[in-house]
Amino acid sequence: MRELIGTLLIGITLGSIYSLMALALVLVWRSTRVINFAQAGQAILTTYIAYEIINRTGVFWLAILFAVVAGALLGAGIEYFLMRTLFRHADEGPVAAIAPVIATLGLLGIIRSVVGMIWGNEFRSIAPPVSTTGFVFNGQPLPFSMLNLVVIIGAAIVMIIFSFIFQKTDLGLSLRASAFQPEIARLAGIRVGPIRTIGWVFAGAAGAFAGVLVTPNDILSPNSLDVLLVFGFVAAVIGGLESLPGAVVGGLALGIGVALITNYISTVLVFPSVFIVLILSLILRPNGLIGSKRVRIA
Amino acid sequence: MHKLSTKKAFIAYALFGWALVLVADRVSELRVYQGATIAILTLAIASIILLTGYSGQVSLGHGAFLAIGAYGAAIAQSYWGSPFWFTFLIAILVSAAFGFILGFAAGRLSGPYIAGTTLALAVGLPTLANQFAFLGGETGLVYDAGSPPARFGEEFTLYKWFFWIAALVVLISIFLLRNLLNSRFGRNWKALRANPTAAALAGVNVASSKILAFTISAGVAGLAGALLGMISIVAPSAFPLSLSFTIITGAVLAGVTSLLGSMLGAVVLVVVPEIADAIAHRLGDSEKISTNLPGFIVSALLILTVLFSPNGPAEAMRKRREAHAKH
Repeated sequence: MRELIGTLLIGITLGSIYSLMALALVLVWRSTRVINFAQAGQAILTTYIAYEIINRTGVFWLAILFAVVAGALLGAGIEYFLMRTLFRHADEGPVAAIAPVIATLGLLGIIRSVVGMIWGNEFRSIAPPVSTTGFVFNGQPLPFSMLNLVVIIGAAIVMIIFSFIFQKTDLGLSLRASAFQPEIARLAGIRVGPIRTIGWVFAGAAGAFAGVLVTPNDILSPNSLDVLLVFGFVAAVIGGLESLPGAVVGGLALGIGVALITNYISTVLVFPSVFIVLILSLILRPNGLIGSKRVRIA
Repeated sequence: MHKLSTKKAFIAYALFGWALVLVADRVSELRVYQGATIAILTLAIASIILLTGYSGQVSLGHGAFLAIGAYGAAIAQSYWGSPFWFTFLIAILVSAAFGFILGFAAGRLSGPYIAGTTLALAVGLPTLANQFAFLGGETGLVYDAGSPPARFGEEFTLYKWFFWIAALVVLISIFLLRNLLNSRFGRNWKALRANPTAAALAGVNVASSKILAFTISAGVAGLAGALLGMISIVAPSAFPLSLSFTIITGAVLAGVTSLLGSMLGAVVLVVVPEIADAIAHRLGDSEKISTNLPGFIVSALLILTVLFSPNGPAEAMRKRREAHAKH
């Protein structure tokens, strides 16, 4: 029982981080119809910025703040300077159709090599801001620590803020309208261009937050967030890629699944299982667990 | 542009191969090694050209198929003791089998989903090698082409032997691919890429054509992977995510639709690290810069190409010529 509770709590911790990454991917997908593979790059750059701030000031919370702001700005910059140029040059042909995806891939490569040039490729670590020893439950320690609790609370706060913005504000309404039908949104007087950029801003902030939250439990290197990107993508696909609640549910389900497999079967099977879940959910539930009825095209 | 007949093309390939052998005799060891790399990358890029340029599907993780091919070949050699030439066949078959499975899923999806799925495969697969003991972990598996036959003489180095094998295998494969792409299958794929609905109405079986393209492309990539394993090592570090990016960059630079362009793309990919080395040397030989500069240049080339001539420089020049001719 104690073991199961511990595993579930670890699963929720992992799941919150996957959810944040999935949210970042879904936000960009809704605004620009591109899967932003550069998200891993954006997050790694902001995580290194956080690392640098922690080293200089020792204040973890300040580092998170800076990373999130940097992530938001970076997202805006990429949308404004790269994506807009790309869509202006839209062209016929086999590559033109996949040009945005290829461009995000190129961007991932560029950011990663720039990070490598500045900080080097060796492994580093971020000291956790709070205790990593497990809580005691019925006199026995759980694998679940204060750090994990902080991760869950942090992710929950971001999700509450997002759902408030999307459900209760005019900005959220514009974001939802432009995602649903850009043409009609434009006719209704929404300036779709800036709204797109805001989608990237939110995504950049969420990705940056995920990067800083995951790293104290892990190592930091120019490609240490690749796996997070993949798990975020799988979570987003489970959730249907369109829906923000879907991304959160997908992330949590994936996190709990990963924790259960790691604890009760074998770490070796984590990746193959995740890959099988991805393929199965693509084939069997192409609209996601709680996705819309629209067929997945484009 | 008229197409050469199969017979003439065969003669052209044979002459080109002969020229390569002559050149390989006269250049330094390093150049021979680079020549082998170019040949292998040409084949890897050709597999993307078949997949993306012809059947219109995307794979961001073709490095995974190279890895599968290489591991398949190495396992065939070290565990089953199969003769070296036969391991190439194993590499093709194993990788094609994986390609079939993935193509089966991919046939039902489009664009972003298959892009993400293939990327997931490329990220996750190398980590698997670390976790299963029979895959040899970080150090990988032994995969040995053997030493060159004694009758070639003392002068005949191992790298030259690698180059001969790579060049021969790649020339034969590209020749076969060329014939395949000029056949009914190639035309079906092109029709599929241009307009799936019209292709289906014209009697092309969309699902099976797409799966076939994925399977063959994966098989070709697997063969390239076995060759890559031969000249380097069969270990996770030989098949990083950046390998997939590199291959895609080569294909995009090559213009994705021309098999001939794949060699051009491969040459660029081999020249870039040389240039990067020279620049890093100028900048004072910092290790951080010299290890990351090649990746930076390749990625920058990729972005610049999709921004300014997404269908490749050759296509852009052709368009400009046509526009010029109109005036």
